[in-house]
Amino acid sequence: MTDELLVIRAQLGEHTALAELVSRWQAPVWTYVRRMLDAERADDVTQEVWLAVIRGLPGLREPGRFVPWLFTIARRSVTDRLRGEYARAATVGALVAEDAVEAMVDRAALVSVLAQLPVPEREILVLFYLEDLSVEECAHICQIPAGTVKSRLNRARRLLREHLEEKGYRP
Amino acid sequence: MTEEPNLSAQEMLKKLTPALSRRTRIRAVAALLAGLAGAVFVTVLWWSEPGELPGRTRLAFGVLTAFCLAWAGYGGWLLTCRVPLFATDRVVAAWLGLAASVTTTGLMAVVAVQRGTGLVLALAAGGVFVAAALVLAVRAHRRRAALLRRMRELTGEQ
Repeated sequence: MTDELLVIRAQLGEHTALAELVSRWQAPVWTYVRRMLDAERADDVTQEVWLAVIRGLPGLREPGRFVPWLFTIARRSVTDRLRGEYARAATVGALVAEDAVEAMVDRAALVSVLAQLPVPEREILVLFYLEDLSVEECAHICQIPAGTVKSRLNRARRLLREHLEEKGYRP
Repeated sequence: MTEEPNLSAQEMLKKLTPALSRRTRIRAVAALLAGLAGAVFVTVLWWSEPGELPGRTRLAFGVLTAFCLAWAGYGGWLLTCRVPLFATDRVVAAWLGLAASVTTTGLMAVVAVQRGTGLVLALAAGGVFVAAALVLAVRAHRRRAALLRRMRELTGEQ
């Protein structure tokens, strides 16, 4: 059953559809939150996210765009917790586009160094690589142009490569 | 890294139960409807009093109206900020609202006729609420119908 169908059934008031939606997206939401925050806050924030999702679900006009909407809510909750960190990250210098390093990045290695990256770059990597969202969906969630998503991804990959190389990881 | 959520989906759902409880939704709708109906009823009674009222009676009417408005505000706050009202719930709530509006209007009209004054005011106030309830009912039905139609499209049912 597609997400859209589940969302519509949930919007009609079917509790089983809502339960299915939560069980389908609980782990991805938690993974996103956990990559952005420490373990202690991840569970609380995930619960906040689901509470906001449930309260906002009846008003969701485009059930087919549930996933970007869900991660927009998750991002808002995370941003609330990270507001101070975001302010510091805003001073980071110009974005630098460099060659892709996908070949070098395996998921486990990526996760292990994610916490060391600045919040905006970490967020884009999590959404793009761990949640498998498209550039357009990332742009919608982060409320930035698609071009900025791409440049932020480039910078994130460069930083990631530097961190991995520091750890002795070679492509 | 093989970290997993501490809360399973089932546990998360359990934590969300208060927000999804039917009782909370009923309480919210009841508070809103009873509060609004009460406030309108008391206000019309007050305004349709034929003679000058003593200060204490005016105070009592004012307090009663404020009390009803407070309940209506609480119900409205629950419905807009705390409790999700799904499409089917909205249809039921809209019909409850319509029933409450018609009943309140009827009661106000009976009281106004018995007193021989304030009938126009009662009908006007009641009419506004009945019209608002009708609009909400139509919107709720349309929204539910649109969701059902889309669901049929997705499942391929006729």
